[in-house]
Amino acid sequence: MRLILVDLPSEKRRNFDPLALSRPIWELRCGMTTLGEKLVAKTGATEVACFVPPYMADAYREQTAWPVNDASQLAGDNLLVVNARVKASGLDGETTGPSRMVCEADGECLCARIAKADLGRLKTDSIESLLESAKAALPAAGGELPTWNYTWDLILSNPEQLAADFKALGRSGIEGKVEEPNAVRGSRGDVFIGRGTVVHPMVVIDAEHGPVYIDEGAEIHPFTRIEGPCYIGKKSILLGTKCREGMTIGPVCRVGGEVEESIIQGYSSKYHDGFLGHAYVGEWVNLGALTTNSDLKNDYSSVTVALDGKNPIDTGSIKVGSLIGDHTKTSIGTLFNTGAYVGAMALIAATGKPLPKFIPSFAWFLEGVVTKGFGKKSLYETARTAMGRRKREFTAAQEAMWNEIFNLTAPARNEAVKKGRRALASQRS
Amino acid sequence: MPSVMDRVVAVTSRVLQVDPGEIKPQHAFATDLGAESVQSVELVAMFEEEFGIEMDEDEALSVETVGDAAEYIAKVCRQQGVAC
Repeated sequence: MRLILVDLPSEKRRNFDPLALSRPIWELRCGMTTLGEKLVAKTGATEVACFVPPYMADAYREQTAWPVNDASQLAGDNLLVVNARVKASGLDGETTGPSRMVCEADGECLCARIAKADLGRLKTDSIESLLESAKAALPAAGGELPTWNYTWDLILSNPEQLAADFKALGRSGIEGKVEEPNAVRGSRGDVFIGRGTVVHPMVVIDAEHGPVYIDEGAEIHPFTRIEGPCYIGKKSILLGTKCREGMTIGPVCRVGGEVEESIIQGYSSKYHDGFLGHAYVGEWVNLGALTTNSDLKNDYSSVTVALDGKNPIDTGSIKVGSLIGDHTKTSIGTLFNTGAYVGAMALIAATGKPLPKFIPSFAWFLEGVVTKGFGKKSLYETARTAMGRRKREFTAAQEAMWNEIFNLTAPARNEAVKKGRRALASQRS
Repeated sequence: MPSVMDRVVAVTSRVLQVDPGEIKPQHAFATDLGAESVQSVELVAMFEEEFGIEMDEDEALSVETVGDAAEYIAKVCRQQGVAC
């Protein structure tokens, strides 16, 4: 059986902006692993191919061993086609059996099990043709599959998912170095410290309310307190951090201050003090000292997020922090409002007040308004420098992808820039 | 109707807080008029607002003097069909 992961352009995938602007949805994290890793593990697939929005295909090929947007993968084997938004936990019973299809009410395919013998009567020249022809030819399965619908779904499920992933992995013990004195609260069976990791003296690991998994090559500096459930990614460094429960920190991050129930994708820095709660932070983000987000409104009402800058969506939760896209940088003292959308490749200078709840991608937020700033070339130069510091390259394929993202996100940005100009003009008149 | 140059001088005066009489076409925004980098961004935004045009930020920020700005803005106005 070949697993075909599908994340095609659609309005629904824009619900995962700004994080999924630059990656397929299955690369997003929840718990200890990505959604894609969970789907592969759940299905037991040994062979995987994937289909992504065309603008990110070349950049994604540089990061994955899976064939990307290769229609030849749609033949020659039994296929299990899975939409990136499907929760792995819902795939019980989907991996084997006769051909059948599960679609959402609007017709979008969530999962299609297609026997090799049936492929002959379907169109396999593209993933879109395959799904269309399968919809017409295959029996529709009853029932529904659970899906991820917004980025905050991942944030809100993270504590539970961390505990489930730790249990599923079944790994505990200390393979790294733990320097004395230190304190482990709760059961040592709920703690794993990977090879090459160094835990400095005066660190508290509190696994009383959930497991703590510190992956390989991490470094935990003195006066850090880690509350489970929590996952610290490979080669990440915690700097006297108050790491509260429900945190997922991807690889090669630098994290200080107070963090809680948030997901940091990887390669990002929040080196200094400042609070980050119920947030999702992309890659190559730098949060300046004292950058802080609100994740709870003073009236305890449910938090709304305006993904397009216009139409607030009720998250149904009283706790949602910021969504911060890749490569965004904040100045010292930046304050994000509850449920803030902060686009990718944005540069933010603090104003001393909480910033607007929507800052578009590629925005230069200066003097309290969105401007064109010094343009995208300057942002790319910064990206090149930041990635170079971690021995990574901002490739031509990535630049091409970001150029497309620049165009994709232009309407909201242009509107914000015009509004900013008017505000500046009125200040100056 | 004020000329493009007059309007460029007026905007520059407002943003940089410089007396309009002291602003000459040959003056460079940064070295002669003291524009900081953030003020350069603000100048571009204010020129766009004043003239109702959209400027390419790389091109606009490469303009160094007041006279060159007036010339560049007049060109962009022509390209975008905006009377100025």
